[in-house]
Amino acid sequence: MEKVILRVRNLKTYFFTRRGTVKAVDGVDFDLLRSECLCLVGESGCGKTVTALSILGLIDTPPGRIVDGEVYHNDVNLLESSREQVRHIRGKEIAMVFQDAQSALNPIFTIGDQIAEQIKLHLGYNNRQARERVLSLLEEVGIPSPAEVTGYYPHQLSGGMKQRAIIAMSLSCDPQVLIADEPTTAVDVTIKAQILDVFQRLKETRQMSLLFITHELGVVSEIGDRMVVMYAGRLAETATVTELLNNPKHPYTVGLINCLPDMTQGKDRLESIPGTVPNLIDAPDGCLFHPRCDKALAICSQEGPPSVVVNGEHIVFCHLYSH
Amino acid sequence: MNHKLLEVKNLKKYYPVTGGLFSQHLGDVKAVDGVSFYIEEGEALGLVGESGCGKSTLGKTILRLEEPTEGQIIYRKTDITKLGKKGLRELRQEMQMIFQDPQSFLDPRIAVGQSIGEALLIHGVKDDKEREQRVMEILERVGLEGQHGLRYPHEFSSGQRQRIGIGRALILNPKLIIADEPVSALDVSIQAQILNLMLDLREEFGLTYLFIAHDLSVIKYVSQRVAVMYLGKIVELATTDEIFQNAMHPYTEALLSAILGITQKDKTRILLPGSVPSPLNPPAGCRFHTRCHRVLPVCPHEEPNLKDIGDEHLVACHLYGD
Amino acid sequence: MTNRLKSIARIARKVGGIRKLILILLAAFLSVTLLLDILVVEKIFDPLVYLYTVLGTLVVLYGIYPLYTGRRLVSYYWERVRKNKLAVAGLAFILFLILLALIGPFFTADPTTVNFEEKNMPPLGFTIEESVYRPETQQIITKTITGTEKHPLGTDNKGRDLLAMIVSGARISLQVGLLATGIAVALGTLIGVTSAYLGGQIDNILMRFTDIMMTFPFFLLLVLIVFVFGPNLAFIVLVIGLTGWTGTARLVRSEALSLRTREFIMASKALGASDSRIILAHLIPNVISLIIVIATLSIPGVILAEAGLSFIGLGDPSVTSWGMVLRAGQQNLDTAWWVAVAPGIMLFLTVLAFNFMGDGLRDAFDPRSAV
Repeated sequence: MEKVILRVRNLKTYFFTRRGTVKAVDGVDFDLLRSECLCLVGESGCGKTVTALSILGLIDTPPGRIVDGEVYHNDVNLLESSREQVRHIRGKEIAMVFQDAQSALNPIFTIGDQIAEQIKLHLGYNNRQARERVLSLLEEVGIPSPAEVTGYYPHQLSGGMKQRAIIAMSLSCDPQVLIADEPTTAVDVTIKAQILDVFQRLKETRQMSLLFITHELGVVSEIGDRMVVMYAGRLAETATVTELLNNPKHPYTVGLINCLPDMTQGKDRLESIPGTVPNLIDAPDGCLFHPRCDKALAICSQEGPPSVVVNGEHIVFCHLYSH
Repeated sequence: MNHKLLEVKNLKKYYPVTGGLFSQHLGDVKAVDGVSFYIEEGEALGLVGESGCGKSTLGKTILRLEEPTEGQIIYRKTDITKLGKKGLRELRQEMQMIFQDPQSFLDPRIAVGQSIGEALLIHGVKDDKEREQRVMEILERVGLEGQHGLRYPHEFSSGQRQRIGIGRALILNPKLIIADEPVSALDVSIQAQILNLMLDLREEFGLTYLFIAHDLSVIKYVSQRVAVMYLGKIVELATTDEIFQNAMHPYTEALLSAILGITQKDKTRILLPGSVPSPLNPPAGCRFHTRCHRVLPVCPHEEPNLKDIGDEHLVACHLYGD
Repeated sequence: MTNRLKSIARIARKVGGIRKLILILLAAFLSVTLLLDILVVEKIFDPLVYLYTVLGTLVVLYGIYPLYTGRRLVSYYWERVRKNKLAVAGLAFILFLILLALIGPFFTADPTTVNFEEKNMPPLGFTIEESVYRPETQQIITKTITGTEKHPLGTDNKGRDLLAMIVSGARISLQVGLLATGIAVALGTLIGVTSAYLGGQIDNILMRFTDIMMTFPFFLLLVLIVFVFGPNLAFIVLVIGLTGWTGTARLVRSEALSLRTREFIMASKALGASDSRIILAHLIPNVISLIIVIATLSIPGVILAEAGLSFIGLGDPSVTSWGMVLRAGQQNLDTAWWVAVAPGIMLFLTVLAFNFMGDGLRDAFDPRSAV
């Protein structure tokens, strides 16, 4: 039974700066189902982090503002809820693991104290109960000798351990949804595998929904159930991970996949996508990808692309596929 | 068979740790602990390892940006560890470096043309016009426009900045380029552009690369041979094909199994327990034994040497001992 | 004619640039005059003039000229500063002060002219009653005195025109502020950057030296100098400058330390740059923004220091500074209040202006602050 935990419709978050309006997120839709891992995929500047921050109401206003759209969490529109209500949900129902995980830990408190503080704040436990819960959380994320580690300060832990501690902290109130913003990007290859393993187990044992933000397709392939590809603040393509990676339709997705060194078995040159991401202030008309697209049609520079259902749940936003 | 452009023999770089009331010498961070290898002219050698293994330090020590603690660095038959100031200056025209962080390797207060032209200024090109001309040429060669030289770093994207970094390294026409994680901080599509550029330039200028990275798939694409480092030592060195198809050292196996490709899903992943030990106090015997899934009784006691087990495939592991 | 220019250009290239050539010539010229000053009794140049010329030349060559060559960058920062209204107001006041100091003296009376007939006159538009006891008639006569246009701000108890004194004070305060801060900041920067870049033992020695200087009783040194040489503005400037560099040195050193590990420094080294080149061409330009902020925020302190010294009588009596005026006005605060209030307000506004501008500059230079 698939229940929709999070439903995002036509989300638009703009940043109003002196040099112009940056349309960081410009009309994004997706659903997050219970117990699934949805990957938000795209390169730097595509708007994936801003999307996550918009969901949790963490956009700096000014200069940013959510100008349109709805974010339904269990049928309640978060964008229309009061700040109190959103604050209540943040951390408890929807938790987030930020990109720069290292700075999420306060260096002058022990790991145990920091996690316990969250627990006492949100769940009202007393010290002993909180301690017990901290130990079980640390164990759940695979930290060895949890009793010892609760007394450690952040600088005493390795990068991988810190990452796990932060995940434990985000789980402290048993959230329904965990948003993870590039948790494996700055980590070594072997640690990456470990961390993904942790997420995988969490997804299974807790039936938690995971909104996983990343730019690494390998990571998506490993942990994602479905994926959404973003480009310059808009959607490019969405499907199940297997379907999309085997059968990519949007020229950007195709380009991304072909760029991977992994794929060049015996080729002399890496395929690359020419040009760079457009300036979000002065974006071109029509499809934002058209200046870099080798399959661009005349209409691409005039009209924004429609959404086209390719195959079941596989949707692509491209003129090439509309008739 | 090309001759060796660079040969490193038993290179060590230790950082002393002092502490206590009288600043006593407590120990050393053994960042690079006895590394030997060679690079042939025109070749690209990949150097791969995780953070803390010493690969960056090795690159800097070869260029003498850090002073070696012990060992020899032989460039075209000259041991450059013994060079004085003047010799070192001339050496700079032969070996250059490409850096990792596009936010940090360009001086934010000067125009990028000046950053590139500085190399020429230091090496005697005093004529402003000539410098300007050469800077413009190099900018165009790396895929930017000549007049971009007047702009400041913050006006460029990460990928463009890396192109500028490459231009700066090339303007003196060096023979050897040490690339320290040049694409790690870039998006995948830009990564591909820069890697293509580096390969083109290698052909055009006849360059030799020491390519340092942590991403094995990038290394695979760029290098002919690969060296794997762990805690300051090379644990395996072989041709790229050999490493990827026939890895011998358990650490290399683990690294390969950890690659997240988007095609194969049925691989058994080797998860290494724990994390990398501190280079201040590496494990006794074989440094990897504490995390090795194929550890033998002899491993904690004796350190294995790097041995050729055939076809110039070198491994430092007791599994392949005598 | 062009041949002469060409040969000059060739010499300049040999020395390392036209700016270095100018500095060398200036140094030579000043050394000669300094030597003559010491040997011959009659003074050619007042010590202050030396300080001005050297600092002024340095500022123009290495401060103003780079602003022109880097005008893209300058306009970028100016845009950011402009948005801070208080900073702009501060800047406007400072410019007004500079104008006042430069051309004010041409339009006002001589601040030292004593005129007991016109003593204790109130400012324009004010009327006071003054009671005077005439011993010969044993009467207390009350007069009303009204301010006149001749003395718009009134006069002090010796009949000196207050406006002229304020204008003169502006000149002195700015001179002292800029000169002393210039010396302190230049010295602090040099020590801080060298200490950070060269590291090791040199860093240790320089920093211990800085610690010692920090505890130096600048006030006692000043009293000693005044006692031995007599009060002289140049000495005050020198003493403030030579003892006030320690804070700058510390701040600059810490910034330079974090810069030292940035990859562009290593890249320069890889290209073969010498240590001095890295320090001068890379480290210092990147700490300039910090230095500007430090300088701007130090000037008020220096101005107040000089005012304080003058107030307690250690200042140079031959120059009229705001502190001097305060000292004069302090005695008659209840009757001739304007004599103390005028310099007080000026000091207050000046300090405020520099502080606002310093804050604005700091925000503009900080890449993290969204402006």
